[in-house]
Amino acid sequence: MKLLRQFQKLKTNKILGRYYGLILLALMAFFFFAVFKLLSPANFGSLDNLYFYLQSSIIYSVGACGFYFIVVMGLFDFSIGANVVLSSIVGVLLSKQFGYIGLLFGCVLCGTLIGFINGLLYIKLTIPSMIVTVGLMLIYESAAYYVAGGVKQVLDPSMQAFGRAPGNILLAFAAFLATNAILKYTRTGTYCYAIGSNEYTAKIMGINVNRQKLVGFVLCHLFVGVMAVLSVSYGTSMTATTGMTSMARNFTPLMGTFFGVAFRKYGTAIPAIIIGEFIIAIIFNGFVALGAPTTVQNIVTGAALLAIVAITAQPQKGAVAK
Amino acid sequence: MTDTFLTAEDVDKSFGITHAVNHVSLQVARGEIRGLIGENGSGKSTFCSLLCGIYGLDCGRFTLKGNELKIHNQVEANKQGISIIVQEMGTLAGLTVAENIFLGHEDRFIRYGIKHTAAMNREAQKLLDAYGFTHINATLMIDNFHFEDRKLIEIVKATYFKPEITIIDETTTALSQHGREELYKLMEATKADGRTIIFISHDLSEVIQHTDTISVLRDGMLIDTVQSDAVTEDDLKKLMVGRELNKQYYRTDYESAAGDEVLLEVRGVCVPGQIEDISFDLHKGEILGFGGLSECGMHELGKAVFGASFDRKGTVTLKGGVRIHAIPDAISHSIAYASKDRDNESIIVNSSIRDNIVLPSADDLADHRILHKKKLDRFAVEHAQGMSVKMTDIDQFVSDLSGGNKQKVVLARWLGKASDILVLDSPTRGIDVNVKADIYALMDNLRLQGKSIIMISEELQELLGMCDRIMIMKNGKINAEFSRSPALNEEDIIVKML
Repeated sequence: MKLLRQFQKLKTNKILGRYYGLILLALMAFFFFAVFKLLSPANFGSLDNLYFYLQSSIIYSVGACGFYFIVVMGLFDFSIGANVVLSSIVGVLLSKQFGYIGLLFGCVLCGTLIGFINGLLYIKLTIPSMIVTVGLMLIYESAAYYVAGGVKQVLDPSMQAFGRAPGNILLAFAAFLATNAILKYTRTGTYCYAIGSNEYTAKIMGINVNRQKLVGFVLCHLFVGVMAVLSVSYGTSMTATTGMTSMARNFTPLMGTFFGVAFRKYGTAIPAIIIGEFIIAIIFNGFVALGAPTTVQNIVTGAALLAIVAITAQPQKGAVAK
Repeated sequence: MTDTFLTAEDVDKSFGITHAVNHVSLQVARGEIRGLIGENGSGKSTFCSLLCGIYGLDCGRFTLKGNELKIHNQVEANKQGISIIVQEMGTLAGLTVAENIFLGHEDRFIRYGIKHTAAMNREAQKLLDAYGFTHINATLMIDNFHFEDRKLIEIVKATYFKPEITIIDETTTALSQHGREELYKLMEATKADGRTIIFISHDLSEVIQHTDTISVLRDGMLIDTVQSDAVTEDDLKKLMVGRELNKQYYRTDYESAAGDEVLLEVRGVCVPGQIEDISFDLHKGEILGFGGLSECGMHELGKAVFGASFDRKGTVTLKGGVRIHAIPDAISHSIAYASKDRDNESIIVNSSIRDNIVLPSADDLADHRILHKKKLDRFAVEHAQGMSVKMTDIDQFVSDLSGGNKQKVVLARWLGKASDILVLDSPTRGIDVNVKADIYALMDNLRLQGKSIIMISEELQELLGMCDRIMIMKNGKINAEFSRSPALNEEDIIVKML
């Protein structure tokens, strides 16, 4: 505890205080790395392994960056996974005709269009975003099934540059930079936070709240479209499934978003998303290296996420958490 | 100061069956400071909200310099030269000070869609420094600042662009004496600049002292506009309530009804960074006042007694030895608390009057854990009517009520719970003279029934007028204690506050 208090004093340090959030994240990543390295020195944590963890985690980080735009406004979206599936399939189909242009534009435009539809229906129907996006998730899943013709869509090996380094890293980091820039250097970022803080006050201050929410959904799914490019390139194929199975794809990006929200107060939302997803990848792969069953992996991953966010968020004492 | 600058013609607004502003017409001159007074619910804030576009007009129109105003939100109002400092919190958490100041006006810092954050921060800091608020860092999140500083930031936000008309809606109650002085100076400078101010306050002496003319609203109608130097507070009270106000404002007795019986014992209470080693006894039938500068720790003390402070150390013990550690302990042992921050901490704004009143009493009203609507309705009606809440019915949302009526709902809630100890933080903040008199009479009545009250207030007059004992806090500690006496005056107290 004493050590923790000493560490927290860093916050008030003029130079290190600016990097407090990053230092905390780096220490956490190192902690989990060290634990699994000690438990499974042979199967876990080589440089090649770490590079692999990074490459898998950045896919989810891109989706988490998109998710962040709507989560900070107090909204939610259950159709992220369905969007990844549908946009990937559209991208693969178009890549057969137009190559990389088809893949990139197919995924990103389809993703963005889905964001526009989600935002528009949420605004027009005036029902909670969770309900709107659950309904739309079912529609997108079925749409993906029809578009794919019920068969697995395989990305041609010549089109898989974004599934390996450096293509995947370049694309993902371009998305990270873009998210960071939008949040910090455009009015969209300010307005997203303002709406999340108090929508009514934001409205009477002249912010067009509905338009801003629509922009938030569009940005969210634009980055989900980029996540689709990375996902299908990394996995080399995409199969459309129905029955809400796409929902599972929501949660890993969402966990990264939680890191971003928790570390926002340190001014490191986007780095927190990237490192947070990396930590989740370390934990997940650590358990794989240990040969732990999936159920145990899920329990420990979930518990680790709760513990990390609870400890690091440290909201003002007495503040209401919803 | 003779040319008509702002005109309201037949301005009208209803919310359901409540006629909030009833065909009001008035003129305000350039360079004038116009006071706007009236009881809670008289339509002052609604009138100003209409002028700023926060609400739309049902009929009538506003003209500024002869041009009709068409305004839909505050940013449009600002662009047409009108700004408002609202009664409750008008800043947004989660944004920096600079972002709050320029919210909706970021255009000047945006080139090709990119916001120049550093320039915005620099400009905000320059403004804060120019206003004398040098202790506020523009780059910090606004969450780091307390209520008063956030009000100061709001003043900068509302006035930095030198609006033609500035509306100051019941802002001074959120400010310390120093903050008020700064605001008065700003008002004078604005007037000297030939710009106009509409000043809303329930502190009538302040209104008389700092305005040129005063318009009085009652039940949504304009009653009269008078010259400030030609009226007394009593004249204004009469105009506000429509009759001679013969209610006694404060207690007239100087003999305490409080006995030796101690109901609540507070020992060595500390909240890190806020209050330090506070000890006192609260007697049965006593009104114990706490006063001091806004940030002296007295507001936190109210929370600490109620178990709402975090990291509280020391003990709060009821007669019989029950220790109060947390809010459920306090409520279940008949302690009530009304916060200074009424909208955020005392009431549930987007909920009905009924729900607000029955909330802490729901368990008591349940039969075998089942709540019966009729019983809840009866309970809510009884206590709302007991407090004379001005409402359409108990289903009305609290957000529609005026500040005074909101406070009545808070008090009705705790009276319904039959609380023996009431911790009232700034109970008359933003409340008109008539409701104030009601609240003072209620407090006196409760005292005579043997209930005990901790009254926290920045208004020295009400502490002197109502309390059996007054404790003055400074820098988180109790600095002085005074007993009720006709000889005690504000100067005695101020010396111990500073």
